[in-house]
Amino acid sequence: MNNLDKLPSKNILSLFMTCGFPSLSQSRKVFQTIQNNQPHIIEFGLPFSDPMADGLVIQEANKLALKKGLSTNQSINLIKSISKNKGDTSYVIMCYINTVIKYGVSQFIKSIKGTVDGMIIVDLPFEEEKDIREQLENNGIYLIKLISPMTDSNRAKRLLHKSKGFIYYISSTGITGSNKLNHKEINQNIKIIKKHSSIPVLVGFGIKSKNDVDSLSKKTLTDGVIIGSALIQMYFDLKMNFSNYLKSLDKFIKNLKIN
Amino acid sequence: MSNYNEPNKTGRFGQFGGMYVSETLMPLLIELDQAYSKIKKDKNFQKELKDLFNNYVGRPSPLFHAANISKYLNGPKVYFKRDELNHTGAHKINNCLGQILLAKKMGKTRIIAETGAGQHGVATATVCALFGLECHIYMGSKDIIRQKPNVFRMKLLGANIIPVESGSKSLKDAMNEALRDWIKNVRDTFYIIGSTAGPHPYPKMVRDFQSIIGIEARAQILVQEKKLPDFLIACVGGGSNAMGLFYPFLNDKKVSIIGVEAAGKGAKTNETAATMTSGTPGILHGSYSYVLQDSDGQIKEAHSISAGLDYPGVGPEHSHLKKSQRAKYFGITDKEALKAFQLCSKLEGIIPALEPSHALAYLFKAFKNKHKNKVVILNLCGRGDKDLFTAAKELGFDTDE
Repeated sequence: MNNLDKLPSKNILSLFMTCGFPSLSQSRKVFQTIQNNQPHIIEFGLPFSDPMADGLVIQEANKLALKKGLSTNQSINLIKSISKNKGDTSYVIMCYINTVIKYGVSQFIKSIKGTVDGMIIVDLPFEEEKDIREQLENNGIYLIKLISPMTDSNRAKRLLHKSKGFIYYISSTGITGSNKLNHKEINQNIKIIKKHSSIPVLVGFGIKSKNDVDSLSKKTLTDGVIIGSALIQMYFDLKMNFSNYLKSLDKFIKNLKIN
Repeated sequence: MSNYNEPNKTGRFGQFGGMYVSETLMPLLIELDQAYSKIKKDKNFQKELKDLFNNYVGRPSPLFHAANISKYLNGPKVYFKRDELNHTGAHKINNCLGQILLAKKMGKTRIIAETGAGQHGVATATVCALFGLECHIYMGSKDIIRQKPNVFRMKLLGANIIPVESGSKSLKDAMNEALRDWIKNVRDTFYIIGSTAGPHPYPKMVRDFQSIIGIEARAQILVQEKKLPDFLIACVGGGSNAMGLFYPFLNDKKVSIIGVEAAGKGAKTNETAATMTSGTPGILHGSYSYVLQDSDGQIKEAHSISAGLDYPGVGPEHSHLKKSQRAKYFGITDKEALKAFQLCSKLEGIIPALEPSHALAYLFKAFKNKHKNKVVILNLCGRGDKDLFTAAKELGFDTDE
């Protein structure tokens, strides 16, 4: 059973966090804090040396994790150790394709099977995905589709054919963490997506606060939101005081969950 | 290899290449591929480009018989394809002119580019000045220091230089930042990639624009020697000057093709840029090709004295030529390149850039007292003015005096 099939139809909360940030042992505590709040989805970011679709905040998180020598195996083991309290939460890995290729696609899938429900591979577009998507699906893992404001209706139709889990709508052109939310454009594009697919549509990139979440739910047809950079930024805002960070993170997520 | 016909429609050179970018860029890359395919057959476009090549760049570049070096070698007869005489001092301008004409046709108003040695940055700034387009150049802060003359040139030409502080602060990181800019500004921006790297259709497009080098060289050698060359030698960073020379000869099976990579402090050390000697296949900057990476697929920092070769990846077509054994690739160290830089200056009165100094060093190393009666064409793809400060420092000469 894939937890993504049990997502509610509205108010879905997906939280992104980089594995190994700020260090491996601290990262375990960060993910436990997130898991304790039982968001619908946790996105586990695998650090990459050249994250070309990420803004400064996630770049910095990647750098910190890699500086301490985090390996792909350590990230996977971290995810497995957190999953003891998984419950109904869906686990999704977000990463760049080179990490998977270098590990070996079938080897990678074998090691996450049964723990991870979906994968978002940022730089694996529709044109290159076929082989990996099939291998993932054969093992009960969904390849999550990304749709951007540049994707027109025809292309969206092709991309979303047989899509599973949820659809990741990139709120505007740009990298993670950096955008202003244009509700009108977002809503227009969600309408197009919903013409071609019946699974939940989540909006990500540039969602920073409870306010952003509320206004998106009110002004658009989105089924949920994805928050990432804002959760990491908090650590730097708190001058890297880890115990304060854990408390603030917990408070921030609890506040998000109040409807 | 019968008739060479790479890449296929999805941008694959054998198993290498492809389009590994985020969805935000995909629609534009597809549009770019279509626009390029169309414009390639457009006679007006070809005419406009040819006129710029002849009257703005100064093409055709001469094919010069380097008699002194030939004598020194006591080996083959050596010819230089002198793309260092081009306007802006390197081969980079060939590609920039092609791409900016395409950018204009596609209605883009803002140009971005990455640069390592600054040669591609200067060439991009130059064509932007010529066509009156806004120009932003991403350059690693380490490269800004070691290529000061080119930084000033770009500023004179009206370009905005954006220093890149991430990673190794050189070419790879400049390309990351340029890609991020492009994802943000995809609607009005054209990214002029300077090498045969990046996602499809760039490797093909850049190769095609640079192939004027090989087309000319092939015709020139047939006039001067009445036969094809036995060897082609060119330096390879991303690989655009090399592909430009090699491509028109790929079906001439008797022509041996040699690419020379920068091995920095040695191909077996951690301070190298010899991607095909020391790397493994992986995905960087949108295509599948050889890259310098660790066992987890994290990209390593490259090292070379030459900023233009200081890149941990290589164009996918070179990976294909290596794999299919149509071309051979060798590494040359910083020290060897620096020696060749001096030797060429003294023997021929031509100060080469540090990039083709790697090709020259391989020539000096592998052809001394060998291959008599053979003919070699070496791509002298850039001039050394930009490297004077770097070379002076390495050679212990005080330029402040």
